[in-house]
Amino acid sequence: MTYRIQLGVVFIILHLSFSYIIYPNLVYSLTRTAHWEVVMWQGFFQILLLLIFLRGLSYFPKNDVVEIFLKMGKGIAIFFLMPLAINLVGLIALNLRIHTDVITALFLPRTPYWSITILLFLISVYTAVNGFKTILRSSVFIFLIVLPLVLFNLFSSYVNIDIENVQTVWNSPPKFLLDINFFYVIGFSPFLVLGFVSSKVRLTLQQVFIVSISVFLFFLSVVYIPLFIFGPETVVTLNDPFLEAMDTIDISWFSFNRQTMFFGLSLIGLVIVANSVLLWVTGQIIQRLFMYGTQKKSYGMIVSSTCVLIVALLVPSQSMVKKYFLWSMGIQTYSTIVISISLFLYGIFKQREMKIHEKK
Amino acid sequence: MKRSKIYKALVVFILTIFLSGCWDIKDVNKRSIPLVMGISKEGDKNFELTLQIPIPKSENQVSRTVTERSGSIAGALGKIQTNSENAMDYSQIQLIVIQKNLARNEQEFKNLIKFLMGSEEIPSRALVAITSENVKNVLSNINDKLGVHASAIYDYFYKGSVWSPELFSTPIWAVYRSLFLSTKDIAIPSVRSGKDTVLVFEGSYIFKRGKLTDRISPEETQLINMFNNKKIKGKIETLGFASVVITDNSISSEVSLKNDIAHISSTLDLEIHVLEKEDGVTNKQIEKKLEKVNKERFYTLLSKTQKNNTDIFGFGQQFQNVIPYPKLYHWRNEYYPHLKMKFKVKAKIE
Repeated sequence: MTYRIQLGVVFIILHLSFSYIIYPNLVYSLTRTAHWEVVMWQGFFQILLLLIFLRGLSYFPKNDVVEIFLKMGKGIAIFFLMPLAINLVGLIALNLRIHTDVITALFLPRTPYWSITILLFLISVYTAVNGFKTILRSSVFIFLIVLPLVLFNLFSSYVNIDIENVQTVWNSPPKFLLDINFFYVIGFSPFLVLGFVSSKVRLTLQQVFIVSISVFLFFLSVVYIPLFIFGPETVVTLNDPFLEAMDTIDISWFSFNRQTMFFGLSLIGLVIVANSVLLWVTGQIIQRLFMYGTQKKSYGMIVSSTCVLIVALLVPSQSMVKKYFLWSMGIQTYSTIVISISLFLYGIFKQREMKIHEKK
Repeated sequence: MKRSKIYKALVVFILTIFLSGCWDIKDVNKRSIPLVMGISKEGDKNFELTLQIPIPKSENQVSRTVTERSGSIAGALGKIQTNSENAMDYSQIQLIVIQKNLARNEQEFKNLIKFLMGSEEIPSRALVAITSENVKNVLSNINDKLGVHASAIYDYFYKGSVWSPELFSTPIWAVYRSLFLSTKDIAIPSVRSGKDTVLVFEGSYIFKRGKLTDRISPEETQLINMFNNKKIKGKIETLGFASVVITDNSISSEVSLKNDIAHISSTLDLEIHVLEKEDGVTNKQIEKKLEKVNKERFYTLLSKTQKNNTDIFGFGQQFQNVIPYPKLYHWRNEYYPHLKMKFKVKAKIE
């Protein structure tokens, strides 16, 4: 049970970490009214894919994703999982850079970016190298520290909120579904991680549902707080709408009158856990596809983390980071869909084979 | 085992490197922290930027002003940075005073607001005020006044609404928002340096998407506050034969759309307390008079703002769910000038 709670916490942290930056911009670019529809559709697709994915996994109660794909054959496993691993390396690197930029903007304007990147990187790698159990335990700690900050941010924004800035109408028909940006939006749900966890601690459907709903309430708040404060015409002109929204809050009687500090601190906690989880997944894939015989289990991680650091330090400019991040999100959506569906189909196929086998 | 202990000790020693703190950090006592920033632009192309910096070292706080000229605000900030003895820390700026002739130039004003909003160092919750005087005089005026703190200009705006119900504050982010919002315009307080006090409140300038359209009096400003449901408790109204103080105010509105013409009927409830009155004046008379004064004030302001298409009350906001978005975008020009308003005031003596 504790494992499951920890896993749920990791799931929430992953989503929180990705949703603060870029996600609101993406949603605003999709529609001018009824932004909640975008979030709802995203939620619908995520839960649909998640159901397919979990169903696929349930055909193989003793295996995780890598093992299932290895059953299909090593070539197929490399074909399906390597793109995922390569994309994850890119994603972690860009995530690291984006957060570094935000931290620089928030409270370390004169510190060179590489030092912050390396600091964030080292903590993530250290956590990841220590294994998934360490990640789980540390995630609970970070969650307990970050959650009050996040909630405080949400509730304190109340002082500037004007509900009349937003129209609460239906968008008919939802044209944004065909927009390429919506494809990227789906990528903001990195739930494939759940498949790499040892099968004993898999989340039940009910738990997945509860966690997903809480994540989507949070997504809604991230999208709507800047909207309520600035209105739909203004948010599209801002670089980091949520960050700016936090910066507007002025509670003079409160001793910590810079909300952005809290925001920045919670970002650091979230990004460390999120990156270490993703790094661990990448390490698992590389390790088990290519170096199954070797004794040291962290070699795969070391290879992938070196790539991450190189990529993170090499990306030249902020606009490039954002562009590549979106592409990476697109690939993530693609691999999520492909892996979920192929798992599901392979599961059905295997089951039939078994039945035929039993009849004989 | 022994080896790992040595390693651990080594790690701990390496950690001492970090004791020096963050990168390029300056201690608080080696920083100058300006509180108020004044921006003006006289005929020529150069911006003139004035900062009011408190000097905390002496016992009775004094301040000084630093002025620099440059082709851009960022350039001026940089020049001050270069020439000052200490490291400049702009993150505590609380008030930005803009000279009127700069605010009058629509393009320049828009660019200025966009710069202030985009700047990472200047907080976007700093307040904005406009002055028709020379900004430098306004900021240095504080030094001539006896017994006034260095933070007086900032304190002036942060008295709290109960202490000065008429005064109101507009932060940068709200001005920035008004550049894009299609259903609400903004008023920015107007101040000048006083003879006896540091600042004098003179009403406010109203802006339509960054364009200065009119100037309104303190009483009219207060009316806008009431429409935004801000409490103006403590405001004293002089009615000629009596003086009353407002103890509570609330507004309720109903909106409707008939034949593409917007209708609003609002009721303003005022609770008042009589401070003084001439002999023989009844309560009824006082209530009637107050209602009449407020009503007249409102209709004058409404027709004035309808003429220059500036929805200073934010009535358009109430039509968010009545008029579809693409049409509401043209609220200022197509709906607001034809808005039909029924305004009732109900005054009640406690």
